[in-house]
Amino acid sequence: MATPPDTLDKVGAGLDALDVPVEAHKPPLWRRFLKTGVPPIIAFALLLGVWQALWASALLPEFQLPAPVNVWNELVRSIGTGEAFSILWTSLHRAVFGFIAAVLIATPLGLLVAKVRVVRAAIGSLLTGLQSLPSVAWVPAAILWFGVTPSTIYFVVLMGSVPSIANGLVAGIDQIPPLLPRVGRALGAGRLASARHILLPAALPGYLAGLKQGWAFSWRSLMAAEIIATSPQLGTGLGQYLHNGSSLNDINMVIAAIFLILLVGIGIELMLFRPLERAVLRARGLTGAL
Amino acid sequence: MTATLETTVLSTVDTAVELAGVRKVFGHGSSAVVALDGVDLKVKPGEFVCLLGASGCGKSTLLNIVAGLDGATSGSLQLNTSRPAVMFQEPALMPWLTAARNVELALRFAGVGRLARKRRALELLELVRLGDVADKRPHELSGGMRQRVALARALASTTVSADGAPALLLMDEPFAALDAITRDVLQSELLRVWETTNTAIIFVTHDVREAVRLGQRVVLLSSRPGRVVREWDVTDSSDTVLDEINTHLREVISGHAS
Repeated sequence: MATPPDTLDKVGAGLDALDVPVEAHKPPLWRRFLKTGVPPIIAFALLLGVWQALWASALLPEFQLPAPVNVWNELVRSIGTGEAFSILWTSLHRAVFGFIAAVLIATPLGLLVAKVRVVRAAIGSLLTGLQSLPSVAWVPAAILWFGVTPSTIYFVVLMGSVPSIANGLVAGIDQIPPLLPRVGRALGAGRLASARHILLPAALPGYLAGLKQGWAFSWRSLMAAEIIATSPQLGTGLGQYLHNGSSLNDINMVIAAIFLILLVGIGIELMLFRPLERAVLRARGLTGAL
Repeated sequence: MTATLETTVLSTVDTAVELAGVRKVFGHGSSAVVALDGVDLKVKPGEFVCLLGASGCGKSTLLNIVAGLDGATSGSLQLNTSRPAVMFQEPALMPWLTAARNVELALRFAGVGRLARKRRALELLELVRLGDVADKRPHELSGGMRQRVALARALASTTVSADGAPALLLMDEPFAALDAITRDVLQSELLRVWETTNTAIIFVTHDVREAVRLGQRVVLLSSRPGRVVREWDVTDSSDTVLDEINTHLREVISGHAS
């Protein structure tokens, strides 16, 4: 009645051979570029074309809608004098320091909210609520508390990004299949080992989404703070540059500033978060969206 | 000191697991459900015991109690083994770790050093004939292969004890979600692993054929509350025993019809 074991072994080996996944063949570099690099370039060119056409139609006065080439010249001028770099540096280093501080505060906070029931009941909804509060609303209060100082700017940045990062971590932990920590217990993991080897890695996709959003919030909070809180003591960041452009009625400067702000946002996304996210998702076989 | 040592040695010789009058109640008051009621069970070192029962007979609850994942309401549990390993119906591998790393995780929790971990993990993967795919991640493996990685991981967690206590493997319907051919292959794989490792196994299933094929002993549990109805020695599994167990299982289930 029973099949002899060596026959079954052969069946097993056959099953394995059939089950081994077929490795997807990677297309050549130029084809990948064609697929992912060309569409955004075309979209950008189209946008420029529409802009140029609108300008040429002269529907709006020059001080409202500048010619693309004038904005380009302003960009080239500020890069040529080195002004662009000092402005970018002022803003970027604030954003990066603020973001790192936010990560250091939000990570333990998120862990506490996710794992300690009392803490979640106490501040869970507050944390979610803070996420929908525009951080620019903190600027007037922060100026009254700290004056027009870097503290004001960092405070606004933190209020913007900490809730996002903490909420991302909470969501990431909430979405862990309950079987995984159970397996950890069955394997003899203590609380700390379980957090380090199971909870945190399992929550990584959600945490990463929170980090990404936290960065976006810290960048936009920084801009809001820099536009409102301007003083010689703070130096010139992108926000002040934008503010100056507006005060001087110089639309070229304003558009150039917006362009630079956007450039930083896209640059960080493409150079930091996109590759990180891809690596994390690919390792888990979640390649549907890639 | 010597005396205690002797008793341990003695007890490890005849029983690996001993459950006496184990009772488990979920909930309180009128809504309380008695899942297990006075279950007695002895498992010898290296013995393969199948717990058989319909749904609701508390067989998974019983396994969780032995595993230490759940506490009994009353009764006693004595384990003369190393920490029991558990295998669930789902492989529950960590999706971000490779097959080898998943096995290593069990050894890491037991405090095994890095090099020893690597070597042992590969050994165990070879044992379930997955040495070639040690670097693959779970999503790159088939369901049957994942369950074999889970088996290797479970073995890793139970055989690490240095004191030489016998190993114990608890399996909760581990092949129920697999297709028939894969299940067939995995059953023979499990028997081979069991014979080479001399691990005591408590295997929960609702499949009479599976229980008779794998086990040396089949223990039939009744449903709500779970009690031991009967036991069969199935070392020489004949069709008459199979029919007899089937009849009893049907009786237990139809008792709930009214």
